[in-house]
Amino acid sequence: MMLTTMRVAFRNISRQKKRSFLLVGAIAFGMLVITLLNALTGGVVENLRVNFSHALGGHVFIIGREFTSSGQVILKIAPDERLDQLLVEHDSVIESLTKRSRTLPTLIFGSKQTMQLMYGVDFLAEDKLLDSLVVTDGSLEHVLEYHDAIILPKPSGERLGVQPGETILVKLETLTGQQNVGEFRVAAFIEDQEQFGISAAYAHRTYLNSLLNLEADEYQVLNMFLTDLAVLEDLARDFRLGLRSPDELEEEFAEVEEEEMGLTVTVGNVPITPTPEPEEIRPWDGTRYEVMHINQIMEPVEQMVGVLNKVALVIFLILLVVTMVGITNTFRMIMIERTREIGTMRAFGMQKGQVRSIFLWEAAFLGILGSLAGVVLGGVIALILGSITFNADPSLQFFLNHGQITFTFAPASIVFNLCLVVFTSLLAAYRPATAAARLSPLEALSSHT
Amino acid sequence: MAIVQLEDVKKIYKLGKTEVHALRGVTFSIAKGDFAALIGPSGSGKSTILNLMGCIDQPTEGVVTIDGKVTHGLSDKALTRLRHETLGFIFQSFNLIPVLNVYENIEFPLLLGKNSMGKQETREWIEYLIEAVGLSDHMQHKSNELSGGQRQRVAIARALVTKPQIVLADEPTANLDSKTGQSILELMRKMNAELNTTFIFSTHDHTIIDIADHVIRLLDGQIVENTRQSAEAGGL
Ligand SMILES: Nc1ncnc2c1ncn2[C@@H]1O[C@H](COP(=O)(O)OP(=O)(O)O)[C@@H](O)[C@H]1O
Ligand SMILES: [Mg+2]
Repeated sequence: MMLTTMRVAFRNISRQKKRSFLLVGAIAFGMLVITLLNALTGGVVENLRVNFSHALGGHVFIIGREFTSSGQVILKIAPDERLDQLLVEHDSVIESLTKRSRTLPTLIFGSKQTMQLMYGVDFLAEDKLLDSLVVTDGSLEHVLEYHDAIILPKPSGERLGVQPGETILVKLETLTGQQNVGEFRVAAFIEDQEQFGISAAYAHRTYLNSLLNLEADEYQVLNMFLTDLAVLEDLARDFRLGLRSPDELEEEFAEVEEEEMGLTVTVGNVPITPTPEPEEIRPWDGTRYEVMHINQIMEPVEQMVGVLNKVALVIFLILLVVTMVGITNTFRMIMIERTREIGTMRAFGMQKGQVRSIFLWEAAFLGILGSLAGVVLGGVIALILGSITFNADPSLQFFLNHGQITFTFAPASIVFNLCLVVFTSLLAAYRPATAAARLSPLEALSSHT
Repeated sequence: MAIVQLEDVKKIYKLGKTEVHALRGVTFSIAKGDFAALIGPSGSGKSTILNLMGCIDQPTEGVVTIDGKVTHGLSDKALTRLRHETLGFIFQSFNLIPVLNVYENIEFPLLLGKNSMGKQETREWIEYLIEAVGLSDHMQHKSNELSGGQRQRVAIARALVTKPQIVLADEPTANLDSKTGQSILELMRKMNAELNTTFIFSTHDHTIIDIADHVIRLLDGQIVENTRQSAEAGGL
């Protein structure tokens, strides 16, 4: 019996094709807008996460600070059993790991000079790094042999006018702020492999460390890529707790809130510049760690996206309300048009409830058809837009995936929106449907429509 | 044995302050299997009586009994079920459901309630009815592809599909030319004889008298003639 009402309802939709088409079209438009907007913001978040991770060289970043006897705060991680232990424990979810020292020196060749972010790398430990670099001039073959080798991004090399094999001067500050100069032998030029203007030069960590005043086995930043971002926050918490020193625990106990505020992350030409809180220069022993992760950086982005999605929802709801008025009016009209037919059905034994069901099924079908059409259309548009490669400027590239817009469809929210559409369609049709069900068979049959 | 019985039935329609006495105390009964005609001029009360028998209207006074059931005081649900189980309808303007084809229109009443027939049996029964009303070549046609006479044939099959005790037809030929109307009446008569279904129909066509078993003539809401031909076994 339900099948009968469904079948009649489904056929009824095709009765006034133009009218049904308009309603389905209106619903589809609303669904299209919200689906595309949600997919777009979802895609932007994903791209930003990937691009940020890429630019920052990891999902999790650990830095260590030491308080020197001269009262300075320096960025340094010395070999630490606790840290090694944590790394072993989480080995299965760590995809790759880098322990680097880092500096922003001035490179000098003859009369020319340029600023260049520079990493001190353990090439043996980071065995995939050399393979991933795209050489434009020179060769990486002898990098391991020469302790003073430097790999330069092509633009820097061009600015200096240096050739592979030649030697450049690197002027930098030691950890404690003294000027220092070292000689490096240019091994190769590499393609700017970072898409976002953060290109780095690479040298041996041991050699760079010696210039920075660090021991050979010390470093400044530990970055990790994880195999699974779902474990990101748990892992970060494990590290944070595992690396905390006893006196830190005490302080934290005293000022829980301040600790939260103290976490500052700056994203710019130099990834993550830690800013020691000026008011809290109480000396400490050993290394104090700070564990950051990509989601913290993404938080404001996600908040913004959340707002955007709410705006999209409001637009969607407004469109739904407009459509609802359309559905209600249409169904009132339909009821009048079909009065005699309703009378006939009632005469042959159709119950009131079944009459109402026909109308409600019609509304539900319109809602379902419209939503599906909207989603499919959204998918097609996303496919088309997503296949275009944009040559936008670097800051815009951050939102894209290799120059392409990414649309991330969230099935759960699509299903939710679909249910919302069907629900409002039913709501809109409910009163006309009830009115149709209440028609007396006698009056309905003697109607002249 | 009476399948329909009206006892001193009165029907008063209220139009604002004026009252229209559509039926002024009508008493008669119809025997099972009869081919019965209500005749009378326009406004004499034929439709009112058919509506009361069809359980889509209630008398102001008096008792209407259908197949032994008093219709008075039944709920809408019970009346609807009674219509489904006991009655079939043929309308003056055919009232086919436009989205359904001939087969589906005829099948439709069966889908509204319990159907004791199996799938195969149902199919054969509907095809038998389509054959009987002479529309075998039009099974898949929609109603707008049929002539008036063909539509009314579909309606006759539809009225019979639930194997009702009684088929009610309010001026089934009024929208047809006289020749087609005649063939429709003959078809109804044929089905009445074949299935032993009681047919009660209204008309203001006086030539009908010859083929009806029972003629009730009305004037101004009262019976002026009630003639039942000696019960012979069906046939034209
Ligand atoms: N719904 C109604 N409201 C008011 N008066 C009605 C209504 N239906 C019928 N009547 C009146 O009742 C009388 C009988 O009508 P009806 O049974 O339709 O006659 P017939 O079918 O023989 O033409 C007429 O006077 C008609 O005007
Ligand atoms: Mg009438």
